[in-house]
Formats: sequence, structure tokens, C-alpha cells
Amino acid sequence: MTRFAEMAAATNYSFLRGASSPQDMVLTSLLLGHEGIGIADRNTVSGVVRAYATLCDLREEGLPGQEKIREGGSPGEYRWQAHPAEEVLDAGAVKAAAMKFKLAVGTRFVFADGTPDIVAYPENRQGWARICRLLTQGNLRGKKGACILRLGDLTADASHLLLILMPSASLPSRALLAELSEAAPGALWLGVRMARNGRDRRRLAALARVAAPFRVPLLATNDALYAEPGARDLQDVMTCIREGATITEAGRRLEANAERHLLKPSEMARLFADAPHAVDESADLLARIDFSLEQLKYEYPDEPVPPGWEAQAWLEKLTWDCARMRYPDGIPGKVVGLLEQELALIKELQYARYFLTIYDLVRFAANERILCQGRGSAANSAVCYVLGITAIDPSTHEVLFARFISTERKEPPDIDVDFEHERREEVIQHIYGKYGRHRAGIAATVISYRPRSAIRDVGKALGLSDDVTARIAGLQWGSWGGDIPSAQVAQAGLDPENPMIARAVELARRLMGFPRHLSQHVGGFVLARGRLDEMVPIGNAAMDKRTFIEWNKDDIDALGLMKVDVLALGMLTCIRKAFDLMAQHEDRSLQLYDVPQDDTATYDMLCKGDSIGVFQVESRAQINMLPRLKPRALYDLVVQVAIVRPGPIQGNMVHPYLKRRSGEESVVYPAPAPEHGPADELHQVLGKTMGVPLFQEQAMRLAIVAAKFTDAEANGLRRAMATFRNVGTIHRFERKFVEGMASRGYDREFAERCFEQIKGFGSYGFPESHAASFAQLAYVSSWIKCHHPAAFACALLNSQPMGFYAPAQIVRDAIEHGVLVRPVDVNASCWDNTLEVDAPGAKPALRLGFRQIDGFSESWGAKIAETREVSYHEIERMQRLTGIPGRAMRLLADADAFRSLQLDRREALWAVRRLPDDAALPLFASSAAQELGEEEDAHLPTMALGEHIVADYQMTRLSLKGHPMQLLRARLKAERILSCAEVNDAKDGTRVRVAGLVLVRQRPGNGNAIFMTLEDESGVVNALLWARQFEQFRRAVMMARLMVVTGRIQRSKENVVHLMAEHIEERNEALDGLSDAHRTAIELTRADEFAHPQIPRGRHPRDARVVVKSRDFH
Amino acid sequence: MLTQKSANAVRLAAVSRIAASMGLAPGLTLADARARIPNLIAAEAAPDSDSHMLSRLATWCDRFTPLVAMDGHDGLLLDVTGCVGLFGGEAGLRNATIMGMKRLGFSVKASLAGTPDAASALARFGSTAIVPEGDDARATSGLPLVALMAGEEATRALRRAGFRTLGDLTKRSPAALRARFDAALMRRLRRISGEEETRLTPLRPEPVCRATRRFAEPLSDAGALEAILKALLESAATDLERRGEGGLGFEAGFFRADGDVRRLAVETGRPSRDTALVLKLFAERMSALADPIDPGFGFDAMTLSVLRTAPLNPAQSDLMRRQRESGLADLVDRLIARFGPDRVQRFVPEDTHMPERAVQSVPAVMTRGRETWPSPEPGEPPARPLHMFDPPQPIDVPVAQFPDGPPGRFRWRRVMHDVTAAEGPERIAPEWWRVGEETLTRDYFRVEDSTGRRFWIYRRGLYGRETREPVWYLHGLFA
Repeated sequence: MTRFAEMAAATNYSFLRGASSPQDMVLTSLLLGHEGIGIADRNTVSGVVRAYATLCDLREEGLPGQEKIREGGSPGEYRWQAHPAEEVLDAGAVKAAAMKFKLAVGTRFVFADGTPDIVAYPENRQGWARICRLLTQGNLRGKKGACILRLGDLTADASHLLLILMPSASLPSRALLAELSEAAPGALWLGVRMARNGRDRRRLAALARVAAPFRVPLLATNDALYAEPGARDLQDVMTCIREGATITEAGRRLEANAERHLLKPSEMARLFADAPHAVDESADLLARIDFSLEQLKYEYPDEPVPPGWEAQAWLEKLTWDCARMRYPDGIPGKVVGLLEQELALIKELQYARYFLTIYDLVRFAANERILCQGRGSAANSAVCYVLGITAIDPSTHEVLFARFISTERKEPPDIDVDFEHERREEVIQHIYGKYGRHRAGIAATVISYRPRSAIRDVGKALGLSDDVTARIAGLQWGSWGGDIPSAQVAQAGLDPENPMIARAVELARRLMGFPRHLSQHVGGFVLARGRLDEMVPIGNAAMDKRTFIEWNKDDIDALGLMKVDVLALGMLTCIRKAFDLMAQHEDRSLQLYDVPQDDTATYDMLCKGDSIGVFQVESRAQINMLPRLKPRALYDLVVQVAIVRPGPIQGNMVHPYLKRRSGEESVVYPAPAPEHGPADELHQVLGKTMGVPLFQEQAMRLAIVAAKFTDAEANGLRRAMATFRNVGTIHRFERKFVEGMASRGYDREFAERCFEQIKGFGSYGFPESHAASFAQLAYVSSWIKCHHPAAFACALLNSQPMGFYAPAQIVRDAIEHGVLVRPVDVNASCWDNTLEVDAPGAKPALRLGFRQIDGFSESWGAKIAETREVSYHEIERMQRLTGIPGRAMRLLADADAFRSLQLDRREALWAVRRLPDDAALPLFASSAAQELGEEEDAHLPTMALGEHIVADYQMTRLSLKGHPMQLLRARLKAERILSCAEVNDAKDGTRVRVAGLVLVRQRPGNGNAIFMTLEDESGVVNALLWARQFEQFRRAVMMARLMVVTGRIQRSKENVVHLMAEHIEERNEALDGLSDAHRTAIELTRADEFAHPQIPRGRHPRDARVVVKSRDFH
Repeated sequence: MLTQKSANAVRLAAVSRIAASMGLAPGLTLADARARIPNLIAAEAAPDSDSHMLSRLATWCDRFTPLVAMDGHDGLLLDVTGCVGLFGGEAGLRNATIMGMKRLGFSVKASLAGTPDAASALARFGSTAIVPEGDDARATSGLPLVALMAGEEATRALRRAGFRTLGDLTKRSPAALRARFDAALMRRLRRISGEEETRLTPLRPEPVCRATRRFAEPLSDAGALEAILKALLESAATDLERRGEGGLGFEAGFFRADGDVRRLAVETGRPSRDTALVLKLFAERMSALADPIDPGFGFDAMTLSVLRTAPLNPAQSDLMRRQRESGLADLVDRLIARFGPDRVQRFVPEDTHMPERAVQSVPAVMTRGRETWPSPEPGEPPARPLHMFDPPQPIDVPVAQFPDGPPGRFRWRRVMHDVTAAEGPERIAPEWWRVGEETLTRDYFRVEDSTGRRFWIYRRGLYGRETREPVWYLHGLFA
């Protein structure tokens, strides 16, 4: 039996070169009977953790883990794909082989100075540090993505490294061999490959001759680029993508044959019959490597512990000090108990420094007056609450610390903290400043091929025309799925049987999920006690002042390193701004935690579905759910944010819960047969949710309590739902779960529903603690909206872009809440929107700011506000005083902001066009005073209201003068078209016609229905079109800015009205007719899936992000 | 509809009337358009071909007037001053133009006005067919503001000020407008309303140099024509010499007394002012014409235009190499003139692993002999044979090393060759992207037989992975 290990295996982390995943390389190598494998990608180690995790999976389960396939641009949009070999493998044999199999992780240095490539492996931990330092050095030299290394960098210190020189087509020079063998005595090999280029044996002999004087042994390798020869075509396509060539012109840049795959040891022995020792050397090298990624033990930073203190003692002191501040009337007994328990566990697991690190961040934010709040399972910790990291008060809520940290789960704790999105960068720079760039780094995000990008690149490489590729790539809806079904290809007017198209689709399918390059993660930080760059290479990010490490969050998870998530949340910015406005204008100073709780007016408002702009519950689905769920307490909001989710929906849990809540159905708890246990075994689990499982934790408890999962099995299930290291697929647990419950006498259908729900959680889980954190913010934002609507609208507008709604809807909503809204005016506005209080104690009015004017710059706005002492009286003088350019003046005039100068839009525009383009230089400022002479009155015709409204929309995306629809009302009435308000009042089942501006078009979930929201001067109507009718009205649906919908009213008993569409017309021309000057610019809300197709269907990006967090880290 | 790539997306560049009626407009991305109308037909726009077609149409318009100019990328301007008589007045001329173009497959909007700008604006934005003399201002006053083609910003500003038509503008005091809008807009307004005269820039490019000879009596004698052509060439050559240039393209124009014009062009591969050479090219060209030049009633004028030139300095003719090169280039030129450009071919190397495709023959005019051929590495035996069989010759191999070694002997043309030395394999996999071609991998061997002859043979199909029964071929012979 030949001992062989492929020591120069590239994976697809050798971007656009390697054509197999690390998983496949490891698995194939193992199945071929190699001693082990050496993973060495080009100037990177970004793929090695995947290989490592695969080997761990194989050792534990005998099966490869599932692969994580990215589906969308936002975090968390991925799905799991079982390895295709899963069905055919003999788990037992694989497990045994995996135990003996050795994984070597290293890199392939590619030099910028013409030196042939050198594959390097660490002999030990120091060697790994050396590799990381070298790659960091190269990364920091190059621009983003490039690693610039020279031979001297390596030879400067090659201790603890094992090097394989991979000669290029020509023989290596004596000088090079001399230099290398001196730098790495006894640790240098010369890699030889039987390239099948017609002169293998002569080359082997020549290399042996060159190497002999330096006593450098030959090492047999196949320099593998892929696991199996079948990947050649994909590798060719990747070469074309890399070279920017089409397949027909790539020529000899492609490999001549399909031989660069992993070879059987016997085949290697045959090929190297002339030099059998070269094959043995590969195994010998492998044996000399004494490094595994397991050795990268994490150690927490020391900084947060003051000198003279033990970390644990300091944490305990801080905890009790803070607790006394949190509960000035005495710490409740319950909380004391919790704190004691938690501190004991923290001590046992030695996590004190971790908590102190997070506390330090939160303290920094508090000092800088940056709002922040922890999310996720940390909300289960009383320590986190008293330290100000999370906002769920353990004295009034049930918290379960075991969900956050437990002894059996040997994983470091995970705390994610949200900061105001506009100020998060300050926090990030604080971390860099405090820990240094060599010890703190942002995690990477692997940018992978998704259907669109895959087909686009493959199409280009195969020489398909842009139009054809665009047709396949541009398939609407469902293009985020993992596959490109033939039906879709046909739907795009292409023949799926056409060999070229079929080939492109097939190659794209295989390319999908391949990494394309690394980018930085939004905010996941890794902190180290020692040098981070000796643990993992660090590189420059595209963003200025950012550096990131080569591993992504899954890798960090797999290695058990510590990370802190510094996330951004727009709503925190909005709340901070609202608090500031309230303090400034309404004499009310608040913090996140002292907003009055259990406010009836706030809940009344929410029960009506009046939640535009409110955190988490502002989507159409949530607005419809609010009147049904009727939240009256914070816990109801926790349910509210969690229930409109794939988990509960897939598990059919929503309706049972609503029915029980409204009292239509009695609360019964599913119970086992009497002989199997007490009937009330689920009371504890499902008590808070009326016997219906809604949260991820409940599903987990069900598995343990009702299906009798062991802790290990439950843990496996939890991991199957959560991280990429999941062992086995979720369906492996399905039988166990359903049968387990059914055999104990539970209703089988209930068990199946529960498991469906778990699957739903699997993709988009939402645990209770998480929902609780968000419900808290939802409540705070609702309270502000309810009691301080002007400040709320103002803060929301100043935090744009965020949320679902466009400024027009936010302003309109504010007006409906009794806020006086005033237009942009040069004599009153600032850059931001502001509040104006006319008399002490009066309700504040909202003054729109210059930021609402499209294309206006902040510096102009600031200049106008600064220079304005009393007021501007005259246009020419205003430009001289402010020095803003003519363009700015024209924008102001077109936004109708000169009314206080007694000029309407038309007059102002006529006047400002005379102004010079650039403000006069200071030197000429005085002489310019008289430049423009008097002009006789222009007598311009009066501008019609319609034209004004249209112009308002064009310039500021909203109009305070009126709604475009009101101008058409008479015409519409003549056609018997109703207003939105009339439709919402109509009786159930009535057939009506309604017209309105299109705000949102969505096709959520399974795509059976298209939801559209129409707006007119009286309100909004939600219309629903069944997908089967969509093709008939496709053009109207897709094009309409003004839509006329005919359909039937469907009114639920909670008074939620939907218009079931039967016929749809597009009436854009009526809108264009309002002003023949220009098309009316109606802004679709950001939730519209057609205008913003990058958003995966059914989910708002922020929702998606929210969802992800819970998924990634539990 | 036609599409064009701009701002990172495939966008509509032009739409048909039906598409426009369905609400599609240029500028929309193709993906959006498809989302609305999935089955629309789109082709990539070819602006170069469009402008080529337009210029051919302009040449066609020579029949109405010699003064033809392009108007944007989709219009033609004809200066018909003094031409209308031949066509029965302005209406007749307009009609003839429209009908003629219709026969060619175009639908045309045509207006006739006092200035080019007025005519162009009316054709594009108005409906007036013919503007009576001096009536331009009135005729154009109803045109919309877009006719000014002043850009979006200015047009919007005019509209916001309450203007709708050009007439609204001309009523205003020019001073008030001038204070607010740029000079180009004002000029365009004056030109459209006929207040300012403009001239056309005619289309046919001016030749670099040109010699003309008019004859008092029509000439039809071939010998005389050749003598005149020679004289014209000599005069052009003098001109070129003064410029230090040589001609690359020459065009002779034969103007027949009855109005027919025949133009004949020749090209040289290198800049030249060698009268004899060019004359020879013309002679060869003429003798090879499928449709010979028919003097009819004789020619009353001849022109010679040099269309393209390149620097040509007095050469030192004693350098052997240069002379040989120019000899070859002359030969290529003469062969092309005689047989046509497609018939004279030249070998060029092709970048591919497939041996039989590594060489291609292409028209000689497309190459300048600058290609670099792959050279073998020093010290290496040649990788490719001197002679290659097309198609490869099947050979009979009784026994070969398993699984991918060379044969011990083989039979070719009934002769058995014993292999005494072999090197290989060189493995070349098929080009998988070519449909319907070779699908099996080849293992090439360089082998030498007992008599010292060297062959290039290959096994078609990898044993085990691709086939159970590989077949052998002889692909070439080394010296």
C-alpha cells in the first residue's frame, strides 16, 4: 500500500482557480485512501477552516456536513445543501478512515517578483504564526484583495516552516535552491508533477539533477485544482472568468487536459515509478507537521480589568454596583438569585473577561451618548441587564441563563450589540484604538456566486450574447433560489434544450456557492489577547481605516474564537434623535429604559394597526396582524414580532394562537398518553403562549420534553438549525421527533406541525429572547409615535433611509396624527428636519429641512442656516451672503423654498436663473453688488396647482399642497371609481373600483399572491391579486404608477379590509397629464420588490438581518 | 427593440412603435422591460452599422442634391436650393424622396423649410410638410420646447416658467431669455425660427489630394483613358511627395457624359506613390471587373482622389531585407488586386492546444506578418512534426503499455514498425465547448522505429475513464 498525501491541493478559495470546495477535496482525498491532504490556496488560508470543519464532521458522523449556500446579499440569506455523496457513503468506514486521516493546513505563496510558487506548511504553532504574519505583511502592502510578497519576505525567517518549491515550466535556478535550502535547512522539498505534457520523465530526471547538490528531496504531487477530472470544464470556465476571455479565445491559458485532480496512491506510485521515494516524501512531510487548527485557543483580552484586580472579582464588583443603581429601591430577591447563579457559572467557565470586554464597549457608547442595546440570547442574562448591555428586565420577565451559556455547550458566549447606525463607526474605531490593529479585526464575509452572478459570468465566458445572459440572469422572482429551473429558462423565451444554454445553466449551477472574493463583515469583531495576526492573516478592507481577517463568522464559530458583534440599527438612531428633539423642544428627557411602560394609549394605537414607522411592526403583514392580536402588554409585542415569521407560519401555529387569544378556542395543552407521563408536562413549556409553540426555544423544549430527545440529540438538532457546523441534516431528526411524540401518545398531526415549524425556524428562526429585545424597541418607538408624533416623524425623516416607508407616507402619517407640517423655506429650514414651537407649551410643528430636496448638499444647507441672521429678503443678496452656487439656488427655487420672500416656485425660478453659476469670489464680492440690473416684470402665467404638486413630488418626493389623486377625483368619480376611504368603508363582498398611486408590490412566501398597496388623498387600500391572474395583468402590475383595481371587498371580523383584485388597469397617462412638464415622480416605498429587486422576496432587508442574527448565533 | 449597455445595465436604446405604445421607452433596463412584457424581442443595437447605413442612404440622396449632411444619428439634411426644378417643385421633390426611400424599406418623416434647423425640428417634432418661403418663424412657433434640444435641465426650467412652445419664447424679450439660458439655446432658437442662416457641412469626406481632368469632347478610347489616368496619378504623386506621404487608397472617378458615375478604388498594402505600381493595380482591377466599365457615349471628366495616406519618407533602397519585404507586399497587393482579397491567404498561429487547429489560414490583407510563432524551448526536441496528416491516419497497434504507455510496434500502410524509443504521453483533452466534435482525450507519443524514422502517433480515448477500446492514429511525421 502506497503512502501518499496530496500536499499541493488548491480549493475554490484559490479564487477562480480551484474548482472544488474544501469539503470535496477532503472527502475525495479520504475516499481515495490518502494518508492526509495539504490544503494550500494562493496567498490565503481562508478555505482551511472549511476543510477542518469537514474533517471534524466526518470524524463525528462519518458524513460531510451540509454546505451553506448563499442566496441573497443580506446576511442570513442562505440555505443548506446536503452533500450529494451523503446517500452513498458508508458512515462507519468513513468515520474510521477520518480518524486516521490527517489534515495539513498551509498556503501557497505566490510571489510578485517572479519566484516560482512555494507551498508552505507550519511545523508547529510558531510556524502557523509565521505564515499568518507573512500573509498579513503581503496583504497590507497590496490594495484590497491583492497580496504582494517577495522571496526575501519568506527567506528572512523561514523557521518552523516546511516548504515545497513548485517549479514553473523552466527548471529552478541554483541560486534559488541555494537561498531556500539555507533559509529552511532540512525543510525544503522540490515538488514534481507528472504533467502529461510529453516530457515527464526527462523533466523528472532534470529536476532530480538540479536538486541533488542541495540535498533537496523530490516530492510527488499532482498540484491538484479539483477533486475529480469531471471538474475540468468548470475550471476552464473559471479561467475564462479570471482572464476576461471567452472560452474560444482563451487558448493555451486553459489547461491542456483534465489531469489536475486528486489521484489514487497506486496511480501516483505508477507515475513515479522512476522516483518512488518522491511519493514517500509526501507522507513524510505530512508526518512532520505538528499543527492543527485546534491549537488556536482563544484567550480574552486583559484590557478591561484594572490593575490589581482579578477579572472575576472585578466583574462581580461591577455587577453588584450596577445592580444597586438599576434597582435603587433594593435589588429584588429574584434578581439577586439570578445574579448569583450566573456569576458562579461565569466563574466556572472563566468568561469574566469576555463580559468585561462587552461592558467596556457599552460603557464607551454610553459616555459618547450613543444608544445601544444587546440582542439575541444575551437577553437571557441578568448580568447583561444590570451591566446595561441588554434591556430585558429579569425582575419582570422570565429569563433562562442556560440558553445563553451552559456548561454542556462548550462554546464561547455570544453577545451581539446594536448601535445607532450613523455612529457605529465611532465604536468600531474605538475598538481598533483600544486593542490595536494587530489584535482586533473584523470578520470576513465570503462573497460567493449566486444565481445571477453565476449565470452572468458563465454566459460571458461561453460567449453568449449579453441579451441571452441577461434574459437568464434577469428572471424575475425566484432567481434567488438555488436552482435555475428549466421552466424559468423557457419562460424567458429561451430553449432549455439548446446545448449552449443548457450548458451555461448547468455550469452556472455548479459554480453557484463558489467563493468569489472576501469582503468585510458588517460588524463582527474578533479580539485577541496576543497578536491576532499570528492566528489568522489580516488584510485591508475596501473601506478606509478598516482591516479584516480572512475568516468569516462560520469559521470563527467552528474554531471557537471569541467575537463581538458591533451591529448597526437604524431605529436606535431614530430613537436617539427623537429623544434629543424631545429634550430640546418639549422639555422631556428620556433614556431607553425610563420610557413609561404599559401605556394604554400606545397599545390602543397599535391595536388599530396604526404603526407606520414603528420598529418591527410596520410592514403590511404586521399591520394586518396587529388588530387581530390586539397587543396589550410588552409580552404581546414579543409574540407579535415573532409570529409573522416563516417558523410559526409554516407550522400553522398562527391561527390557533389567534383563536385562543380571542377566546374562540379554549386553551388546551397537548398531552401524552397517561402511561407515558403527566398530562401537564407541556404546561411549563407552552404556558406563556396559550399552548401553541411560537418560539424556537419552545420547539427545542418540545423535542426534549415531548419527543424525549437526549441532551446530545437536542444539541444536534439545535446545531442543525443554527450553525454551518451542523452535523447531519435536519431531516435526520424528523423521524425521531415525530415518532418520539406520536409513540408517547401525542397527536401525530401536531407533532408534524411542530417539526414543520422547526424547519421554518431552521431558515429564519426567531427565539424568544431575541423577540423580547426587539419588542422593547418596538414599544419605545410606538410610545414616541403615540405621544410625540412630531418628534417621531422628524427623527424618522432625519434617519432616512430606513424602514419601509418613503418620506411622503411618513409626513402624511404625521399629519394624520395632528402634526402641523411646514414646507421647506430658506428663512426657516435647516439641513435636518426640525421642530418649531411657536409658544411655550404649544405642540411642536414639523419644519421640513433641506435634506428633503433631492440633490441638495448638506454643506449648502448648513451655510444657509448659519448665515441667516434674521432672514433673507432678496435672492441675489442671499446668494452673495451664503456663497452657495447657482445650482443650489435653482434647487431651492424649484423646491418652492422662497415663499417667505413672496416668490412662488415659478417666479423664484425665473429670478434665480439670472444668478451666476458660482458665487462671486470674495475679492469681487462688493463690486458684484450691482451686477444684475432691474428687470421689468416678467408677467409669467400662474402655475396651476397640479403642476405645483407634481413639482413638489419631483423635488422633495412629497407635497404639502395636496395629493396628486385629488386633482383627478372629479374624473374618477365620473367613472364611478371610489376613493380608498370609501373602499375601506364598503361592505364585505361589494364589487368596487378604486384608483391610487402604487406604493408597494410584493410577492411574499410561496408566491401565490401579489400584494399591492394603493394610496390616494383619503388613505390606502391593500389589494391582493392571485398569481394565476398575474400573467394576464403583468404589464399593468409592473408598470402602473397609477393603478385602477376592480375587485371584491373582503372584510375580516377584525375589520381588516382587502380588495381581492379581479381586474387591473394602468393609468399612468392621467398622472402625466397633471402637469405636462414632467412625469410625476412617485416614490415607491423601499419594500417594493420590483423597484428594489435586490431584496429577496417577502422580506425586508432589515427583517432579514434581524432574522439572521438569531440564526447565526444560537 | 434594440438594447445597449450603459450605466452597468443593458438598457433599451430604441423601441418599435408597438413597444412604445405599450409604454416601453429608451433608457429602461432590459430586465425591467422583460418583467413587464416577458416575450419581447430584443437585439443588441449596432450604432456603427446604423451610421454606415445612414451614410449609404446619404450617398443615395446624391441624386437629389450634391449637398447632403448627417443630422444626428438618425436624420439627413438635404440642401435642395436650386434642385427643385427637376422634380416638379418642392412638393414633387419631397414626394420623390419619400417614395424612393419607402421603396428601400424606410418610413420617412420629411419637412422642407428655410433653414436646416427649422426643417430638422419640423420633421422631428412637428407635422408641417413644406414651409412657404419666409414663413419659418410662424411655422415653427407651435413646436414643443424639446425641439430646442437644449438638454433636460434647460427644458425643464423653460417649462417651469410656463412656456410650452417655441412661439411662447419668441414673444419674450430676447434679453430676458439671454440672461437665463445659454447661448447655444438662443442660437438654436434663432436658427429654427429662421432668424439666422446656417450652412450644411457636406458629407463626402474631402480626399487628401485630388486631380481632375475635364475633356472638351467625350473620350472613350481605352488607351487614352489609361494615359490620362497615368497623368492624373503622376500629378497626385507629386502632391504626395511634397507632403512626405504615400497613398494607401486611390479612387478613380469616371464621369460619363450621360450623368452616370463610376468609381473604382484600389488599395495598397503599404503607403506608395509609385505611379507604375498603382497604375498596374488599376489595370488588373479593371481587367478583373465582372461588370466592365462601359464608356457608352464617352466620358467627359476623370478624377483621381487619394483617399488615405500614411507617411512615406524617401527610403534607402539598398537594405536587402526591406527590399524583400516590399517585394512580398507588392506581390500580395498584386495578387489581391487580381483575385480579390479573400483568395489570397496566409498562415497564422492559433492559440489552442488542439494540434490540427493550431494553424489557420486567413486572408492576407488581414495580417501584416507580425504574428509570433511558438518557439520550442532551447534544448528540447520539437514538440510538433514537420508534416501533419489531415485527417490523421489510422494505425494498427497490436500491443501497448497499459494503461497509457506507448505501443511496442504498430502497422501503418501495411508496414509494421517496431518502436525502439518513445516519449510521452502528451495528453490533450478535447475542447468540450465545441459541439459535435472530438469528444475523446488523446495521448500523443513521439516514437522512433528501428530504422530511425520518427512518428507522431496518438491513442484516442483514455483507457478505463473514457473507453475500453482505444484506437490509434498517426498524426504526423518528424523529419
